[in-house]
Amino acid sequence: MPSGELAVLEWAGYEIPEMWADFGKDYPDANVMFNFGASDPDIYGKVLAGSSEDIIHLYTPFLNFYVEEGLIEPLDVSRLKNWDKVPQGFKDACTIDGEVYCVPWDWGYSSILYRTDKIPEGVDSWAALFDSKYAGHISMWDDGPSAVSVGSYIKGYDEQNLTDDQLEEIKQMWIDQRDKNLFYWVDEPALEEAISSGDIWAAYGWNGAFYRLLQAGVPVAYADPTEGRNSWIGQYAISSKSDNYDLALAFLDEKLGQETATHLLVDYAYGHPVPEYFSVVEDPLLIQALSLDDPGILERTNFTVPISSADRDRFTEMWAQVKAAP
Amino acid sequence: MQDRRSPFFATYYLIILFVLYFPLGILFLFSINDGVIFAFPLKGLTLHWYQDMFGNTELLQAARSSLLVAVASSVAATALGTTAAIALLRFQFKGKTPFVALALVPLLVPYIILGAALLILFAGLQVERSLWTVMIAHTIVSLPYALLVIMARMVGFDKHLEEAAADLGSTYGYTLRRVILPLIAPAILAAWLVAFTVSFDEFILASFLIGRRPTLPVYLLSQMRFANRFPQVVAMTVVVMLASLSLVLLAQWLQRKGTVSTQVAPAGQIARLPGFEDISFQVEGVGKSSE
Amino acid sequence: MLKNRSIASSLLLPSAAWLFLFFILPMIGMVIFSFRPDMRGGPFKLGWLPSITHYQNIFTGDIYLPLLWLSVRVAFSVALFATLLAFPLAYFLVFHAGKRSSLYLTLAILPFWTSFLLRIIAWKTILGSNGLINNLLIYLGLVNEPVRILLYSRLAVVVTLVYVWLPFVALPIYASLLRINPSLLEAAAILGASPWRSFFRVTLPLSLPGVIAGFFMVFIPTVGEYITPILVGGTRGSLYGNIIELYFGDGVNWPLGAALSVVMLVGVLIMALLVSRLVDFRRLVS
Repeated sequence: MPSGELAVLEWAGYEIPEMWADFGKDYPDANVMFNFGASDPDIYGKVLAGSSEDIIHLYTPFLNFYVEEGLIEPLDVSRLKNWDKVPQGFKDACTIDGEVYCVPWDWGYSSILYRTDKIPEGVDSWAALFDSKYAGHISMWDDGPSAVSVGSYIKGYDEQNLTDDQLEEIKQMWIDQRDKNLFYWVDEPALEEAISSGDIWAAYGWNGAFYRLLQAGVPVAYADPTEGRNSWIGQYAISSKSDNYDLALAFLDEKLGQETATHLLVDYAYGHPVPEYFSVVEDPLLIQALSLDDPGILERTNFTVPISSADRDRFTEMWAQVKAAP
Repeated sequence: MQDRRSPFFATYYLIILFVLYFPLGILFLFSINDGVIFAFPLKGLTLHWYQDMFGNTELLQAARSSLLVAVASSVAATALGTTAAIALLRFQFKGKTPFVALALVPLLVPYIILGAALLILFAGLQVERSLWTVMIAHTIVSLPYALLVIMARMVGFDKHLEEAAADLGSTYGYTLRRVILPLIAPAILAAWLVAFTVSFDEFILASFLIGRRPTLPVYLLSQMRFANRFPQVVAMTVVVMLASLSLVLLAQWLQRKGTVSTQVAPAGQIARLPGFEDISFQVEGVGKSSE
Repeated sequence: MLKNRSIASSLLLPSAAWLFLFFILPMIGMVIFSFRPDMRGGPFKLGWLPSITHYQNIFTGDIYLPLLWLSVRVAFSVALFATLLAFPLAYFLVFHAGKRSSLYLTLAILPFWTSFLLRIIAWKTILGSNGLINNLLIYLGLVNEPVRILLYSRLAVVVTLVYVWLPFVALPIYASLLRINPSLLEAAAILGASPWRSFFRVTLPLSLPGVIAGFFMVFIPTVGEYITPILVGGTRGSLYGNIIELYFGDGVNWPLGAALSVVMLVGVLIMALLVSRLVDFRRLVS
């Protein structure tokens, strides 16, 4: 039985044993250490600067960078016993040029989170974030690529192939939106507080916030827009610097295990890629928050696509210009 | 100074004090709020956040890291500032003005620029980021304050004491240890205090330069993502505030208990530092004995 | 003045070395890095061809420079208001607080020891549309609806920064006022000057170095400020520092961030040079 040490470059909160429960059970002799990064670019920066962890927890927007710079290894999926349980959409999010580079794990939606009492007519489109009816009560996430995604959904553009003119249009949309937007949220507690207090009526939000607001008794709903929700996916990859490929691969495999899934779903209200485990969720609010009662939801969802580093630079510059515009 | 009691100024002071402490009062209320979302009205009173906080090893670790960095950088800045001040004010050599200008220039550099520059430097030298890299940055930004505080104090001193010691045959090392340092001790303490303050709550440089272990402010911001942990962080802040309040009140009390003023110049007639009357604030503020 | 060179050098060497290694070198490094076209290959890559593309971007585009100018104006207002509000505070401490002035000063400085991030977050509950100020205004009947501009606006950034810096600015003013020889004021009184006259002709001019020092202690860091805009600035509150932070953070475009930093630094240094006429460094060490 393989033993040894693994180092994981992780986000705060995922180091607790429950989050890798299956691995802990099946490989009791292995020693897992955690180092932390605060955000995608922070983690990326650390790895780029030579940080030597075996496993990296990244998110789809950055996958391309790691692959381009040769920072992660392709995975031998034939050795992953849980791989076939993963739906195709999730597999695609980890595949670049035919090679699989990561295992999907935590995921959730991004959609419009809104107050049902302030917006009784409901929300059915991303355009709600630009609606003058809600001026001063809208909040967008402070993230350029997401802003580009939303703009592309509304305009019907292909995110991965935006021309300069199309990007310019999206930029202007967001510049004009600033007067209706109250603030760009950076972290969920601030967003939840603002929705709870009624300052914000409609926001770009994740289902974790939805769940917590439901639990707090705030009248909110989570939109199912005609353009489709967005979904973000967290992924685990193996560093090209790792000497411990086999053990690391096992760790990734076990992330898809049932006990881990249960904790992720129930404790953190985030999705897990393996649908057959969803039945463990019993809390009706949680079912609502994860849209587990809506079987077709995944087909209607736009998964966050990997973008090239050139595009990421373009999108970031666009967002900087939106913020800097007079 | 004059003891006129003017209601306007006293009122003004109280208003300012109220405005300064009010948000702290709010923070305290939330640390005992039985709920996770930070908004009024409160949900009920509880102390369990404090309990949780003491069990939260990461949080305690972050506090410890901040403390370590603050102590290390303040000691370094004070040591560097003291040695430089002594060299500048008691020795003759060329290049004093450029050196002082250089030592003070960090005051003009916004932290974000310095943080970025050090990030680039360490990345280029392949030095891994860590609490040490933060400590280095903090020392740079504290050094100007330390230097100014100590220089201000030393200018006020009669050099004859040192010269007398030399005449009596002591080596410079001895003079340094037994004459100069004790005389400027209050300034050293003041400089250390300023440097410690600058470092402990510093966020920008820390966020650019930490490695695996965050300092408290950086940890705090990262915890804002996890709503269910946030109240513990607020509880920690309240604890820090109470701890510093007690420390400072203790220091005040000790001072009143009769530390002798070690000033050589008569009180109230502090020697002027030409062109620099502005600095040296901490000297009077911390070491001042009753007039 | 002693002339022993070797002692002088050994005393000066530690700080000189530290400053050289950890200040001069990084600054030079940043300037060099600003000529790197992109981040491909990671931070360590050598052998890249220098290019002025970032500087071209900054100076020919009409985005970054206006934002820098805006940030300077915001920093100026913050410094101005903080100084104006701190002056009476320092004045009270020196002239009216008597024996307890040190204690009162400490009490005023103490909030500085709490996390500035959390103080700002607490401040948000005061400024928000459901917050205490608005509740008070509505209760008093002064407004019918919450005043929304108090939070998530440039005004909020200024107010919050003034609040954060206020105690700190009071310190150099306090020191300056403390140095004023009381006999000067007594003399002025004896010669028949009214308290106001005495203030304007004696106290204020003598306190000016402290006031100026305090002003710059706030002004300089605020030009590069980015945290407060993120927390309370809303969509219009972004400052130049936010853009720099964006490129060193999510943007992963360090060279552009470095170029923006160099431009800001040069601007600040020029301003400081102009002001340094008021404070003569040479007199400090003669």
